[in-house]
Amino acid sequence: MRGFAILCQKEVMALFSSPIAYVVVTVFLLIMGYSFTLTLFISHTPSLVHLFFQMFVLFLLTVPIITMRLIAEERKLRTIEMLLTAPVTEAQIVLAKFAASLGLLVLMLALSAAYPIVLGIYGNPDWGPIYSGYLGLILLGGALVGTGLLASTLVTNQIIAALLSLSVFLLLWIIDDFGYLLPDPLDTLVVNLSLSGHFKPFATGSLYLSDAAFYVSATLLTLFLSIRALARR
Amino acid sequence: MSPPTVVAQNLVKWYGPRLAVRDVSFSIDAGEVVGLLGPNGSGKSTIFRILTGYLTPSSGTVSVAGHDAVTDSLALRRQVGYVPEDAPLYDHMRVAEFLRFMARIKGLSGNAATRSVARVAGRLRLDGVMDTPVAKLSRGFRQRVAIAQALLTEPRLLVLDEPTSGLDPRQVNAFRDLIRELAGAQTVLIASHVLPEIAQIAGRVMILLDGTLLTTDALKHRADIQHLRLQVDGPEADVRACLATVAGVRAISAEAGSGDAPTLYIVEAAQRPLVARDVAAALAERRLVPSELAVVPPDLEQVFLELTRRRDEVAA
Repeated sequence: MRGFAILCQKEVMALFSSPIAYVVVTVFLLIMGYSFTLTLFISHTPSLVHLFFQMFVLFLLTVPIITMRLIAEERKLRTIEMLLTAPVTEAQIVLAKFAASLGLLVLMLALSAAYPIVLGIYGNPDWGPIYSGYLGLILLGGALVGTGLLASTLVTNQIIAALLSLSVFLLLWIIDDFGYLLPDPLDTLVVNLSLSGHFKPFATGSLYLSDAAFYVSATLLTLFLSIRALARR
Repeated sequence: MSPPTVVAQNLVKWYGPRLAVRDVSFSIDAGEVVGLLGPNGSGKSTIFRILTGYLTPSSGTVSVAGHDAVTDSLALRRQVGYVPEDAPLYDHMRVAEFLRFMARIKGLSGNAATRSVARVAGRLRLDGVMDTPVAKLSRGFRQRVAIAQALLTEPRLLVLDEPTSGLDPRQVNAFRDLIRELAGAQTVLIASHVLPEIAQIAGRVMILLDGTLLTTDALKHRADIQHLRLQVDGPEADVRACLATVAGVRAISAEAGSGDAPTLYIVEAAQRPLVARDVAAALAERRLVPSELAVVPPDLEQVFLELTRRRDEVAA
């Protein structure tokens, strides 16, 4: 646990020592702030449903940028040798990188909490969809960071890692469109891999265990594969 | 007598279809300073990575201070300080920050980490750069920081991969002094492809070529052979035939002299007394008069070349 905490601290430092974290947070807040204001003025309803879908898309686009360097950079600079010859396990390294990156997404979401607070002050929002929307975004973030981390573990080039994870995200975003064209039972299987299909209920305030289980399973699977990929030397 | 600090038995490492290390066995006693010599790509770094727990061997076993590299890897890593080639460090950290991070990740906490960082900073003369970002360090300082992190926990085994590459002569001297200080207290394994450097630092030298360990003690080989340098005027075939009759002569190489100068011969012979006298007598018997006859102390380079020549002969 101690090793994990030290590594996690190092990862947070690494995230904020490059401009990437600042740029991602700033862009996220600017777009969300503009979108929130626009939606509020047009619809005059105290709801964040549209905003959650926009956050969903922004997560798909920004997570590859956050995760691309995690392992690929350590491999390229060979600092991974320093880590893996110290008494720490591959699991501690992977989990620390995952926690730090997910932490950045949580920070972005925490900063966006200004929008529901404004709604709460000036209106009477339905808090259920707001809570479930944020929960969905955190679960989605976990699955995306896990996938991005796996891509970064598999290649040494950061750009390729980013493109690889972005391709997977975009494919899983629109996969349900293809799924409907497939024969039974393939269609059900493919549609159930859809990132957006599992996110919609969260954004609209309907909580299903199966949707949460999808994101948690994807997170655990990608973390497991990342640990195995790092251990394969 | 205490057990060896490092024991490697029948180490083999494949990278896909390529055999990088083939059946390597050696042991290193506590307090020894051992050099691992070999050209680039000979498998030195692979052996080091196995020794430090970074790579797992395809077959064979390695233990450091009694801890197996595969089954007890974490305990092994606690006993090893490692300086990889080219000193890969975290450029975004300051030196003090980096050393403190490495100290903590190696299991030191609070005051122990602080004391340890101060100790290695003093020892490696890093006090002036502790607040400097690692990215701004010179090559020499980077190397010193890398060595400092390896010494943080006073490990039983210090593994240094090409530690003087890129250092200027003054820094190389300082490095040699450091290794001499450590000798006896710590077991040190150094890889290099620079022969004179290894000869000056190590008490024992192992030679590796194409993944095969040619010898675990090249210095002993050095003591086993001697070289004679002689210049003789006369037909080369006669001189060679004459030298071949002398007991102990193993190999003869000839280099034609420039202009009217006689041919230069380098004779490799077994280390026994009076070989030079016997060579002189044999030449005199055939009325060949040497203009120069001297015993040349053999260096590691000659041992290296001799061992590789013998290996090639066996392979052929």
